[in-house]
Amino acid sequence: MKPILVFLTLCSMLFGAQYSIIISKKVSVSTVTREQIRDIFLQKRHTLGDLKIIPLNLVGQEPSRIAFENAVLGMDRDRLNAYWVKQHFQGNSPPITQPSHESIKAFVQNVEGAIGYVPSSMADSSVKVIYEF
Amino acid sequence: MQHIKVSLISLIGLIFTLHAEPYQLGHGVSVNDALNVGGYFSSELESNHQSNSFTLDDVAVMAYGDINPMFSYLAELEAVGFYHKNFSDGSEESHKKFHAERIYGDLWMADSINVRFGKQITPIGYWNLEPINVLRDTTSNPLYSMLLFPKFLTGLDLNGYVPQTQGVRYHLFGQHNRDLDEEYINIPNSHFFGLALENEISMEWSSSGSIGEYITKTNQRTRFIQAGTKYDDTQWQFLAEGLIAKSEYPEQAQTYAFSGYAQAMYRYTQEHAVISRFEYFNDHHTDYKDTIFILGYSYRPWYPVSLKGEYQWHSQNDENRALFSLSVLF
Repeated sequence: MKPILVFLTLCSMLFGAQYSIIISKKVSVSTVTREQIRDIFLQKRHTLGDLKIIPLNLVGQEPSRIAFENAVLGMDRDRLNAYWVKQHFQGNSPPITQPSHESIKAFVQNVEGAIGYVPSSMADSSVKVIYEF
Repeated sequence: MQHIKVSLISLIGLIFTLHAEPYQLGHGVSVNDALNVGGYFSSELESNHQSNSFTLDDVAVMAYGDINPMFSYLAELEAVGFYHKNFSDGSEESHKKFHAERIYGDLWMADSINVRFGKQITPIGYWNLEPINVLRDTTSNPLYSMLLFPKFLTGLDLNGYVPQTQGVRYHLFGQHNRDLDEEYINIPNSHFFGLALENEISMEWSSSGSIGEYITKTNQRTRFIQAGTKYDDTQWQFLAEGLIAKSEYPEQAQTYAFSGYAQAMYRYTQEHAVISRFEYFNDHHTDYKDTIFILGYSYRPWYPVSLKGEYQWHSQNDENRALFSLSVLF
C-alpha cells in the first residue's frame, strides 16, 4: 500500500494542478466551469450569479498566463490576438493586467468580484479557489 | 460634426504622443477605462473590363470606453472614398468629409439584458458584424451583405444571453425614425424591426438566424428570414449564410429575392491563407441575377495588417474583376 501512496503523491506533484483561479472569500460562488471562466476572461459575460466580475490577467507572457490561455481559454497567442483585434473594433477591451501574482492575489483579497490566477502554492485561506488547472 | 472630427483627431494625436504604455498594433491605445482610441484604413486596386482604379477607401477613427460599470459608449467617424483615381480615363475623386459611422451607448444591466441605443451595426449574421476590410478575409463583400437588409440601425437593440442557456445570445432590435447620418446607409429607412439569435455550440462552431422587416423611404416593405453557420479552428474556417426576402411595393406585385454564399478558408500558416467563396444572388424586383465564384489569397504579416488579392468570376461575364487591397487597423 505504501509504495502506491508514494506513487500517487508523486503523480499528483508531477501532474497535479499548477495554478489556481481565485476569488474573494466573501463571494458565495464555490465552483465554476471552464466555460464560465473562459467567457469572463473573453469579456463575453460579466457576472457569476448576481456578482459583477473583474477578471485580472498577468502582464506580459509569463508561463502562468500562457498556461491559462492554453488550458482554460483554449486559445494560443495568435488566435487570442486575432480575437482581441476584432473586439477592439467592437469597442471591447481585454481584462486589466497586474504586474505579479502577488498583486493579483492582493487585488482579489480586497476587491469583491475580482478573479485571477496564481500558482497553487500561493492559494491560501485568505482567498477562495474556484478552479484549478 | 466638423468640430467633433477636429477634436477627435487632435485627441488621438495627443494620446499617441503622451501615452507611456507599450502600444500593440490593432489593439488601439487605452488611455484609461473611459477612453480607448483607434482607427483603420483600407486601400484597393481594382481591374475589370472597363477600368483600372485605385481607391483609398475607408479612413476612420474611433473612441470607446466604460463611463462606469454599467454604461459604455463607442463613437466612430469615417470617410468613404477618401481618394479615388481611375487610371483608364485619368479622373480623380476625393471625399474627405467624415461621417458618423457608429455612435452608440450600452446600458448593461445583466448578462441577459443589455440595451444598445444609437447608430450601430445591425446585429444580423456574421459578415455584417465585421464589415471592415481588415477584418475580412476577402477584399470584396458578398452581395448578400450589401443589398438585402439595412447594414446599420439607428435605434434600440435589447441583447444578451438567453437565461439558462450556455451560449445562446439574442438581439431584439428596432428603429422607428430616420437614420442618423444617412451618407453611408445602404437602405435608408424609418422602420426596421427584427430578432436575431446566435447559438455558440463550441469555441469553433456557431449558428445563427434572424427575421426582420423594414420599410424604405420609397415605401418598399420587405420582410426577410436569414440563417448562417460558422466553423473556425486554427486552420480551417467555413462560413455560410443565406437570406430570403419578400418585398411589397406601392401598386406593384410583391417580389422575392434570394441570396446566399458559402466560403472556405485554409490557413497554411498564421500569416498565409487561401480563400474560396461561392455566391448566388437573385433579386426578382431589380431583375438582377448573378452567380459568383471567388478565389483569393490573404497575407497578414501581423493580424491587424491585411494584404489580400482575389479574382471574381461572374455568370455575368463583364463583371469579372481582380481586386487587391491593403488595410490596417490601429
